[in-house]
Amino acid sequence: MSAVASSARATPAIGWRDVALAVAPLVLALVVAAIVLAVAGHNPLEVYWLLLKESFGGVKRIAATVSASTPLILTGLATAVAFRSGVFNVGVEGCVLVGGLAAAFVGFTYVGLPATLLLPLALGAAALAGTLWMLVPAVLKARLDVDEVVTTLMLNFIAVSLTAWLVNGPLLAPGSANSATPMVVEAARLPRLMPPSTLNAGFLIAIALLGLYWLWGRGTALGLETRLAGLNPRFAIASGINVPMLIIKMMLLSGAIGGLAGGIQALGTVNRFVVGFSPGYGFTGIAVALLGRGSAIGILLAALLFGALATSGATIQLFSDVPIEIVNILQGTVMIFAVARFGWLLKNRQGGK
Amino acid sequence: MSMAEFTPDTTIRLGAHSVTRRFGALVANDGITFRARRGTIHAIVGGNGAGKSTLMRILQGMDRPDEGVVLVNGMPSVFFGPADAFKQGIGMVHQEFMLVPGLTLLENLVLAQEPLDGLRRIDRRKALEAARKLEREAGVTLDWDMPVDDAPVHVRQIVEILRLLYRGADVLILDEPTAVLAPAQVQELIVLLRKLRSEGRTILFISHKLDEVMALADEITVIRSGKVIGGMATANTTKAALAEMMIGEILSRPNARPSTVGRTVLEIRGLAATDARRVLRLKELDLDVRAGEIVGIAGVAGNGQDELIAAVTGLGRVERGAVRLDGQDVTKLSLRARRELGLSYLSPDRAAEGLCLSAPISENLIAGRHRSPALCKGGVLQKGAIKRHVETLLDRFSVKRASAALPISSLSGGNQQRVAMARELDGSPKLLLACQPTRGVDIRGIAFIHQCLLDYREAGGAVLVISEELDELIALSDRIVVLYDGRVTGEVPRGSAKVEELGRMMLGETRQEIAA
Repeated sequence: MSAVASSARATPAIGWRDVALAVAPLVLALVVAAIVLAVAGHNPLEVYWLLLKESFGGVKRIAATVSASTPLILTGLATAVAFRSGVFNVGVEGCVLVGGLAAAFVGFTYVGLPATLLLPLALGAAALAGTLWMLVPAVLKARLDVDEVVTTLMLNFIAVSLTAWLVNGPLLAPGSANSATPMVVEAARLPRLMPPSTLNAGFLIAIALLGLYWLWGRGTALGLETRLAGLNPRFAIASGINVPMLIIKMMLLSGAIGGLAGGIQALGTVNRFVVGFSPGYGFTGIAVALLGRGSAIGILLAALLFGALATSGATIQLFSDVPIEIVNILQGTVMIFAVARFGWLLKNRQGGK
Repeated sequence: MSMAEFTPDTTIRLGAHSVTRRFGALVANDGITFRARRGTIHAIVGGNGAGKSTLMRILQGMDRPDEGVVLVNGMPSVFFGPADAFKQGIGMVHQEFMLVPGLTLLENLVLAQEPLDGLRRIDRRKALEAARKLEREAGVTLDWDMPVDDAPVHVRQIVEILRLLYRGADVLILDEPTAVLAPAQVQELIVLLRKLRSEGRTILFISHKLDEVMALADEITVIRSGKVIGGMATANTTKAALAEMMIGEILSRPNARPSTVGRTVLEIRGLAATDARRVLRLKELDLDVRAGEIVGIAGVAGNGQDELIAAVTGLGRVERGAVRLDGQDVTKLSLRARRELGLSYLSPDRAAEGLCLSAPISENLIAGRHRSPALCKGGVLQKGAIKRHVETLLDRFSVKRASAALPISSLSGGNQQRVAMARELDGSPKLLLACQPTRGVDIRGIAFIHQCLLDYREAGGAVLVISEELDELIALSDRIVVLYDGRVTGEVPRGSAKVEELGRMMLGETRQEIAA
């Protein structure tokens, strides 16, 4: 799991080398996608310009991009928290789903409560659902060393089926033909920051959590323990750090943030839970964490990038003959290059005594 | 420099001419020139951080000099990678062996150049034939069907060497080849390398262990701070002269003043423990370590040392018996709880367990103590206090560093060990379990670490030293306890221990038998 190690690396100062390593995947992905575009008969520069305009050209487009990146900041953060402790949690997607459903359930069930109570309650329910969802893989990993990649990946499928069953049965909106819950009441909705854009207060929550993550990683005992456990668990154990307990804590925290991502999406954007609620926010979150190399600012930038691709991809086919698949290919190439390690690029000038 | 300076000379099999290699401000190799003659054993000797490893990397094609050239058969050569060097017959045995787990010794031997049969399967008969031929050349016999994972470390090393021969190398570069070997195995390796020399092969090895250098090398090049200090035939020098060239001064021997022995700090009773494969390795062990004394454990590797470490630290399983730390039964406690009760643990495996190589020096130094009230308030690390604490400790243990924020992998092995030592002696522990405290450390570092242990003992600390270096045990220990087959088979007080006698006790003889 070399990618985990690279994202957990502890370098105090940011040099040109780090910047190069962070930007290289993006540049290479753009080059590869340009070739695909050219072969398909499009002018790559024109398409890229259009993408840029659709995602950052004007206040409305920027609001749409930021709104689209909000869940990705949170899922990227959820993944990065687990990465730091050396755990490759690929189950954030499942947390998003159970968190989204839990928030929606609170939002359309306890309709009598005022917003000051209902909103925190609903978000708390989302975080709690995500936490509980990670409990089994966390304990299995920490106590029995069961591979978390397998358990968390499998739990995703269970989450998809479980939430689908619930919204088609017990929680189906009365009289609805769609697989969706009733809408949440107004009091349970996150305030919109720039109507009619879907940009909402969830973005502020995401930014606040990023800030906390940054402080936590730099200056707390727990942050230090997590980093050391991620870099070298044997060393951490020999130093007297309770690594199994740390792994449980970090996986549960990862689950809580993942659940919150779903809750914010349910209460801020969708206002209910529907089947197909997440277009893979949890999985994109893995790419966000890797591309951002686990740092707070990196996660923010990577989430904005994928958010931009999502918004511009949705509108680009309205204004050009570029099919959405091309944008998906671009997104996929960025992900592939984000996951690959680029250390070899600079290896020759490194190290030695 | 013009090519005219060089003439082809097949007697100079491998060498360096004015090789300089810089890493930023650090000059790792500064105009190094030496020549290893064909059919000889040539030693490159130097302390930690002298530039030996950099030179070896250059000779083997893993790195290129900024100035100067590598000489092959007397002529300048440029290698763009280890494969280039290999084409010239130059192969290297690294400190970390590069065998593939899960394969047998034979499969590892022929890996990448397997003799194939008509169906493109490995032709076992031909492979075995090649293996037997190499065995004769090297004067060894191996069980070739053994999986690598079951092979003891010295057998793995032999396979590494034979693999290079199999693939056609006639120059072998060995990086501290004896660092992982027990004394008896070192002798076997020396015999093997002499045999290869007599077959006309050239051997270049780097080491800081002068006994072996004197025993093995025909010629010696001493380097210090990246420069060649001297080159000579082994016959024309002495161990003392080499030591002085290596470190540039004469070291005073660590001084073990008498100390007063106090209460029992570590008490082990009837201890039995198994290894990871559930084989009983410790059988009925009793051991006491008191305040103000150093107890050394001598034994051939695999006689229960690992299980003793695991039982004292709490990192392994205990079948029967009790471990008491300062009067308190800790048999079932975790290492964390034991550390809180005053245990310190200097790991035998610095790279994998003792330190976190990719983390900064400062974090390595405070790990485990980072939650102490002086360094951490309400879960928040106190940056200023930590910085002062770190700098004080690094100065006290004379750790040479550019900045405490750099990864600890930027330090030489000796300085890394000083950091580990500084951490473990910080916070006045009651018992220090020091395992292989000077492994991979040069003479100067050894003297320093020994003095640290002796000072700690004098201040009333209790030390349990587990080491494969008998000289070290003799220099440090107030009592040496010999471990054989999971039991204590003898105990020798300070002043009366001799290497030869200990060596026989380590093979199972009792002291009375030796005396008789």
